Amino acid sequence: MSNTFNFNRFGLLVKRQWMDFGKIYLGTLIVLAGIIFAFYSYFIPSTGDHNILDHDGNLDMRFRYGLFLMLGFLFISITSSTYFNNFGQKSRAIHELMIPASTFEKFMVGIFYTVVVTLFGYLLVFYLIDLGFVKYLNANLSAFKSAADIKTPLKMTDGLFDQVMSDQKYLKYCSAFFAFPFLVISLFLLGSIYFNRFHYIKTAVSVVVFTYAGGYLIYKTGDLLTRNMTRINLHIKEIDVLTWIFLVSAIITLVLWFITYIRLKEKEV
Amino acid sequence: MEISEINFRLVYYLTNTVSMIKVNNLHFGYGKNGPLFKNISFQLHAGHIYGLLGKNGAGKSSLLKNLAGLVYAQSGTLDVFGFNPAKRTPAMLEQICFIPEEFYLPAVKIDAYVNANAPFYKKFNHDYFTELIKEFDIPVNQKLIHMSYGQKKKVIIAFALATQAKLIIMDEPTNGLDIPSKAQFRKIMASALTDDCCIIISTHQVRDLDNLIDTVMMLDENNIALHASVEEITEKLTFKKIKLVDDSIIYAEPSLSGYNAVMPNYHQEESKLDLELLFNAILTEKTKFKPYFN
Repeated sequence: MSNTFNFNRFGLLVKRQWMDFGKIYLGTLIVLAGIIFAFYSYFIPSTGDHNILDHDGNLDMRFRYGLFLMLGFLFISITSSTYFNNFGQKSRAIHELMIPASTFEKFMVGIFYTVVVTLFGYLLVFYLIDLGFVKYLNANLSAFKSAADIKTPLKMTDGLFDQVMSDQKYLKYCSAFFAFPFLVISLFLLGSIYFNRFHYIKTAVSVVVFTYAGGYLIYKTGDLLTRNMTRINLHIKEIDVLTWIFLVSAIITLVLWFITYIRLKEKEV
Repeated sequence: MEISEINFRLVYYLTNTVSMIKVNNLHFGYGKNGPLFKNISFQLHAGHIYGLLGKNGAGKSSLLKNLAGLVYAQSGTLDVFGFNPAKRTPAMLEQICFIPEEFYLPAVKIDAYVNANAPFYKKFNHDYFTELIKEFDIPVNQKLIHMSYGQKKKVIIAFALATQAKLIIMDEPTNGLDIPSKAQFRKIMASALTDDCCIIISTHQVRDLDNLIDTVMMLDENNIALHASVEEITEKLTFKKIKLVDDSIIYAEPSLSGYNAVMPNYHQEESKLDLELLFNAILTEKTKFKPYFN
């Protein structure tokens, strides 16, 4: 039996982690569903009002972009930040480290729970609630009035994910940021193993500090290197910028995951 | 020589000569506090229960953590049945059961805990676990977090023994156990020892290990102050109650009826090892004992 990765041990670890992680996760998911439902219920167009339309002529559902991004960030960052927090406590760290599974398996279970279970769990819950409300709107479309022109027939509303996936323009810009949720997960997962206490706050502060420091360093270096030079305008293709955003965020994610694995491997109690 | 005697001698030879744990020139410390161990070397064999003794801060828990791969040595080598503990390979971990002084148990019932953790240990004996839980009188329908500290400790000890691991490491296992439970613990531990298993018990409550350990390891001043079997100790030293102290006494402590003394065993007298007395004696008169246990 391999000492690096074995599917049987991986399965046992997933089952074992569910004992600790599962209840918290399911509880959080229920609260999350409640919050999404409450926001939708409050902001959804009402049959009694004159409703605003979005640029495409649909009933205005733009509140859901902000909701999706904000809640998604909070959910995946909090969940990732709590995943390895056991290692900050001596007794729990011993309990985890002494389980007969390899460090790689323990790390992969972490990835499984934070990426597959958390991220896709969130997408599924959001998708289902959004779909429910969209179905309700479309089924009762004739009952809604537009603020601009009452006589204009309203267009069918699209689900959030359909809207992004079916529109090439949306898809082009959004796809550049597809690695961002993984980047957030990798940052907070690293924070959960790196810090022994106050993982979330310390990770958030570190990210802000490093981002500012990195930004300042890049700006200063660029300034020093190009001082007393003539400015020329280089034409950079938009698609290149978007590809670079995707590539850089994906590479940083992979690097952070690798560092997390090393931290886990070198963890001492 | 009869076959049964040959077998007995062979088993005795193998268990006493094949080292399960080999530590060579272990150098370990925490950050700026200076070294805790300076190039210590020793070997531990299967079929023995070792009592690891030492003052607070002598490094008992740290030595156990080094053996379990929970901390890393600064230099030197550790070999735990052929594995480097620092690598924490599953093949090694399934052969080690570590019971720390401060332990964690999740908020589930015993059944759920066993179902989640036992499959990692190939040789886990469910019947033996049930037997131990019954013997320790643990309420099986209660959640682990609602149990008393002593009950939790018994669950964790029962689980460790049921894993049938080759190496069982216990750090202060009798802390939190009541008097009947301590006796029960000694009885169970004595019966759990097999020829291919090694048990290391660290404690500062030396009386709890009476009649249980067969080898004493004592840590002091960054080194091993004593590593000897109970048999060897009682062969070389004798523990007596005396009225007056004379030059032949290596160490003596006043008691109600005179003195409890440790002296050389010149006449091959049989005496019972007084661990507490030996512990104090070694710490106080280390140099006087050196010629006996080199």
